Amino acid sequence: MSKRIILAAVAILLVIAAAYASFFLAPEERTMGLIQRIFYFHAATAWAGEMTFFVCFLANLLYVWKRQPKYDWLGVSSAEVGLACITVVLITGPIWAHPVWGIWWTWDARLTSTFVLWLLYVSYLLLRTLIEEPERRALLSALFGIFAFLDVPLVFFSIRWWRTQHPQPVIMGGSGSGLDPTMSKVFFFSVLAMHVLAAFLIVERYVLEKMNSELDFLAREVEAQ
Amino acid sequence: MKNLDSVFAAYLVGWGVFFVFYLTIAKRTSNLRAELDRLKNSLPRAK
Amino acid sequence: MSLFSNTAVLLSKELRTEFRSRELLTTTVVFILVVLILFSFAISPTTEESREFGPGLLWLAILFAASLMLQPCFLREQNNDTLSSLRLAVSDPFSIFLAKLIANTLFLLLTELIMLPFFAIFYNVPILPEIHWLVLVLFLGSLGISVAGTALSAISAQARMRELLLPLLLLPLLTPVLVVSATVTVSLFEREPIVKGKGIAFLAVFDVVFLTALWLFGEYLLEE
Repeated sequence: MSKRIILAAVAILLVIAAAYASFFLAPEERTMGLIQRIFYFHAATAWAGEMTFFVCFLANLLYVWKRQPKYDWLGVSSAEVGLACITVVLITGPIWAHPVWGIWWTWDARLTSTFVLWLLYVSYLLLRTLIEEPERRALLSALFGIFAFLDVPLVFFSIRWWRTQHPQPVIMGGSGSGLDPTMSKVFFFSVLAMHVLAAFLIVERYVLEKMNSELDFLAREVEAQ
Repeated sequence: MKNLDSVFAAYLVGWGVFFVFYLTIAKRTSNLRAELDRLKNSLPRAK
Repeated sequence: MSLFSNTAVLLSKELRTEFRSRELLTTTVVFILVVLILFSFAISPTTEESREFGPGLLWLAILFAASLMLQPCFLREQNNDTLSSLRLAVSDPFSIFLAKLIANTLFLLLTELIMLPFFAIFYNVPILPEIHWLVLVLFLGSLGISVAGTALSAISAQARMRELLLPLLLLPLLTPVLVVSATVTVSLFEREPIVKGKGIAFLAVFDVVFLTALWLFGEYLLEE
């Protein structure tokens, strides 16, 4: 229990520190001004989201291989946290884009791929609600999760290739291209903070799922008597 | 300061999503814990 | 090789079942036709617009039709309780999938070929000059749709709300196929089709990736 509290405290501290750094330590960007600072939060959350989906993929593989419920618990936890991250990305993106470029949305490669990613993981979670038997649910959602993850690079490259045939405004052009050194440090610190936050949320969700499973087991025992 | 309200909105929504997500987990966890205790107490009685 | 012979036997069973009634093919053809007509009512395209948007709409119609056409794939087995006997009959469960996905690809392709003349007329597209490339794109795209669709059909057959679930799972997964197939098809109707090489290669990669995934994980999809 105390380890979880420490993780929570560290996560909150890092997130607050990252926000402070984004506003007071990072230099002001020349063309966009204040609003560019959303980038640290937005892009760091995107990276954390992608990492949690990778964790989900590994959990799915491990479940199919070993069939231990803990991998199913990890799979659903990381999928939900990843979905939360991507939701934040999809909302903060347009909030940034509108004052700067005058449009809420554009079908560029990154935004579109992110949206498809969001849809895939919503489907993953919806699939889980539609299968009642726990072991079947774990297996079938793990298999869908594997297919979905294999699809992600294909989605990204197909849309990027398509977009080069039909050029559109590129929002948030190359985040890594030529970033000022202080900006880089603030960015990577934000990335760290969001990863720790995601880890904390995954742990909490995992504990909930584990308890759910215990409840099912106990309920069946009570029924048997 | 230009666009301060947009920056504010972005951070509010962003942290808001994570906060609401955590709150739903915490609430369900405490409900579950109560339910689990209830069930655990009913078990030895039946024996 | 027993995989080959098992697949061949199962494939002929799939084909015979369908060609006895032909209900799947006819309903799918009519469905795509209706969707294409509805699109033109919704958009009222000019001749130029037809040529530009037509291929994208065609592929969208194919995707919708496929997500309906793939429903009975494993549902039929489940309703008739034939899946367990199928599994016992073959040494490699992949042959079940292989037979179904080949059958589905053939059905889809046949539907598309029947649709082509209507598409060419309604949307004023010159399909004849590059017809061989067009058929290749249709084949690779349909194969991708079938591979993913057959796998996901096995999943959705075991869940509730399966009629809605299959399209929900399938359509986001098939975005790459839609995007690339539509883009290549559009370019085929332009004066200088330049994008076809990369696009066709991409579709082939998609097909290989999902075929491999199905080969690796297929047996788990059929677990009781």
